[in-house]
Amino acid sequence: MDGLSLQWYQEFFNDSALRDSLFASLEIATVTMIVGTILGTMLAIGLVRSRAKWSPGANILMLVPLVVPEIVAGISALLIFSQVGLTLSIWTVVLAHITFSISYVTVVVRARLASMGTETEEAAMDLGATRWGSVRLVLLPGLWPAIVAAGLLTFALSFDDFVLSFFTTGEDVQPLPVRIWSAIRFGPSPTINAIGTLMMVVSISAIGLALLIPRLFGRRESGVKVLTAAEGG
Amino acid sequence: MSEAIRLEDVSKSFGEYEAVKDVSLTIEKGEFFSLLGPSGCGKTTTLRMLAGFEIPTEGRILLEGEPVEDVPPYERNVNMVFQSYALFEHLDVADNVAFGLKRKKVAKDEIRKRVEESLELVSLADRAKSHTNELSGGEKQRVALARALVNEPAVLLLDEPLGALDLKLRRQMQVELKQIQREVGITFVYVTHDQEEALAMSDRIAVMSDGEVVQCGVPEEVYEHPAEAFVAGFIGVSNLMEGIVQGKDKVKLASGQSVKAPLPEGCDKGEKVQLSVRPEKITLDDFERGMVTLEGTVAERVYQGVNTQVTISLGDGASVVALEQQTYRASADDRWEPGAKVKLGWHPDHCLVLR
Amino acid sequence: MRADYWTRFLIPPGVWLLALFAFPLMLVLALSLGYVDDLGRAVYGTDWSNYAEAFNPTYLPVLIRSVGYAAATVALCLLIGYPIAYYIARFGGRYRYALIAALVVPFFVNYLVRTYAWVALLSDEGLVNNFLVNLGLTDRGIQMINTPWAVIGGLTYGYLIFMILPVYASLERMSPSVIEAGKDLYGRPFRTFLHVTLPQTKQGILAGSVLVFLPAVGDFVSAQLLGGPDTYMVGNLIQDQFFAANNWPFGAALTVVMMLFLSIWMIGYLRSASRDARGAAI
Repeated sequence: MDGLSLQWYQEFFNDSALRDSLFASLEIATVTMIVGTILGTMLAIGLVRSRAKWSPGANILMLVPLVVPEIVAGISALLIFSQVGLTLSIWTVVLAHITFSISYVTVVVRARLASMGTETEEAAMDLGATRWGSVRLVLLPGLWPAIVAAGLLTFALSFDDFVLSFFTTGEDVQPLPVRIWSAIRFGPSPTINAIGTLMMVVSISAIGLALLIPRLFGRRESGVKVLTAAEGG
Repeated sequence: MSEAIRLEDVSKSFGEYEAVKDVSLTIEKGEFFSLLGPSGCGKTTTLRMLAGFEIPTEGRILLEGEPVEDVPPYERNVNMVFQSYALFEHLDVADNVAFGLKRKKVAKDEIRKRVEESLELVSLADRAKSHTNELSGGEKQRVALARALVNEPAVLLLDEPLGALDLKLRRQMQVELKQIQREVGITFVYVTHDQEEALAMSDRIAVMSDGEVVQCGVPEEVYEHPAEAFVAGFIGVSNLMEGIVQGKDKVKLASGQSVKAPLPEGCDKGEKVQLSVRPEKITLDDFERGMVTLEGTVAERVYQGVNTQVTISLGDGASVVALEQQTYRASADDRWEPGAKVKLGWHPDHCLVLR
Repeated sequence: MRADYWTRFLIPPGVWLLALFAFPLMLVLALSLGYVDDLGRAVYGTDWSNYAEAFNPTYLPVLIRSVGYAAATVALCLLIGYPIAYYIARFGGRYRYALIAALVVPFFVNYLVRTYAWVALLSDEGLVNNFLVNLGLTDRGIQMINTPWAVIGGLTYGYLIFMILPVYASLERMSPSVIEAGKDLYGRPFRTFLHVTLPQTKQGILAGSVLVFLPAVGDFVSAQLLGGPDTYMVGNLIQDQFFAANNWPFGAALTVVMMLFLSIWMIGYLRSASRDARGAAI
């Protein structure tokens, strides 16, 4: 394997279909990161703070996606899309990715939220901030390192995901991992290694940032802990 | 003086649990008022109702004459110093202090001026640009204080603000807090479980137990004339001895001896009472005219530096504790070996009969 | 304070998960009772024949094989991952995080690419066999690809990190003085490990085992690339129903059966996770 020559990268960028796949994957990961992080953060806040009777039910609903094998997730996503008559495209991939990113974000954000307590928000209200003001001015800034770390983790997971994408992608553009799958099955090609390396660089940058960001904010807990919390479900 | 706060028959329940029962209090303007009691006595819940974090189940709360029990915390003219300080970690010291003024949309120049003044007040003018996690515990406490005081609230609420500090710093902050309160003249409502702290700082103290106010008065009154056995036991150390009323100012102790004691109004002969005497009021082998005297055996002696604590068994399982000062003439350690017979005494005026 | 203020935060993500996760799972369940009509379309019904077929002698071995491969993967991951996590946690010192990062980085090479690399290594004309032939150890090379061990090896390589991280986390939580106390009481290092360290990291081992076992059972990449028809796993079977055989109801039934095989593990894990969450929230 002499795949380390730059020739394969050149080939990669000259191949317009591959280029489209790369951009599709980046697009999917970005939208997933934004929507998934917002929804997951809301869920974390709601689960920690709400005293609603069905809140424990919502907790189970959040945890189940973490233990369901991806193939099951892929099939159920495929079924719902075909049931409501949604044409498969990168947007169905996005919907499926968001669904499964919510839980990861929630687990990471909740760990930080549980350690924060409510006194700082009460202090903000005591000093004249409305309830939403205390969320905006105190709670969210306090959660910010965890939110950013969770977002980047989500980005990396989405960008790297194969199984969910495989079941939910359409005919138009294939996300990069699906493209790799087809390439591998059609026969060996050094381009695969080039794509693999490129993907690794993107994922590692995202995870590297996720590890770094809690430190930049001067928090004591390290990024590794944030990630092991995520893996630990 | 006019009143700052009035609570009228305030109760608060959490489900089945009654945290505060039927509390009525009046706090004067400019007063340093303490709510004192063990944990779970309802003092913090009472404070949180004053702040607006809890809504009373029953009763009324008047702030400078206006009912406020339904007013949310952000619309009440009271501010709070939290036990955990609750500083905003993402803001520097000056921005923490400016937080309340910004919410009130005070002009920028005015904010800067007042933030400077209040940091000056707590001697932290040079730390304005510091990050909150660079501060020591005592400094965080001062920032929390400045952040509340800068808003010039009608009442400042303090929830065990010195609880997390070590003893030495605590003493120092007690003095400083009292000075600051005199300087700004704002009404302080102070929650603590530390009786020494309450006695040292307060103009008046309300002692709480099981959600009720059991006694409210100036420190001397609460200490010298506890209204109930609970107060006598909670504030300072108290020797409680079982007894039966025998006649006018006469109580028969469990040991069989009759002693002179000032009986409260309406005590009947034969009624069971408790006699309370503070350890520092008890003298050993050293009497004055008119004192009550008892005999006992030294059970234990604990050297405490400033004084020596001697536990004396009176027989029948009853025992009392006496404190002996280390003066020039009394070195306690050679006098009361455990097992030694000893005579103890106190002035009848210094003992209290509790029903 | 009114408690229901916070409930509004639950509603958008809750509705999303209900609509795009819980409801679709119900669809899988419903479709597993369906059938394929004459035009080849999947139709809902109340037909149990898919389940009868799933348990017939053609398919049952595949299910059992999947669970067996996944269990072997868990065992291998534990055998390889525990010592790694242990040495980093105990002896990594200030390089601990750097070492963990160095371990994690390769796992961000896409799983497909990593598995593909194994194909290049293990195939009949691959690097390993070339090397062996050149050394003269064998004439025609050894059959490595298309064997169960290649598939299990691929799975182990794929999911090893999910064992290392939770085990490492549980080891790190353990205070060194506990080990010292153990040495004080039990003396020899191995007995200390057996009676002190191992029980204290039970939670990490369990979490790691579940995190490896669940995705390994459903995996179809490793068997597809490193195995052959004899090493097919239930994931391959399911995927075939959806993309080749076009028998969605049967695919759904296989999915449900696979979930049944996994449910004990999933429920056990969910219970411990929701217990932890309750503890964390208080």
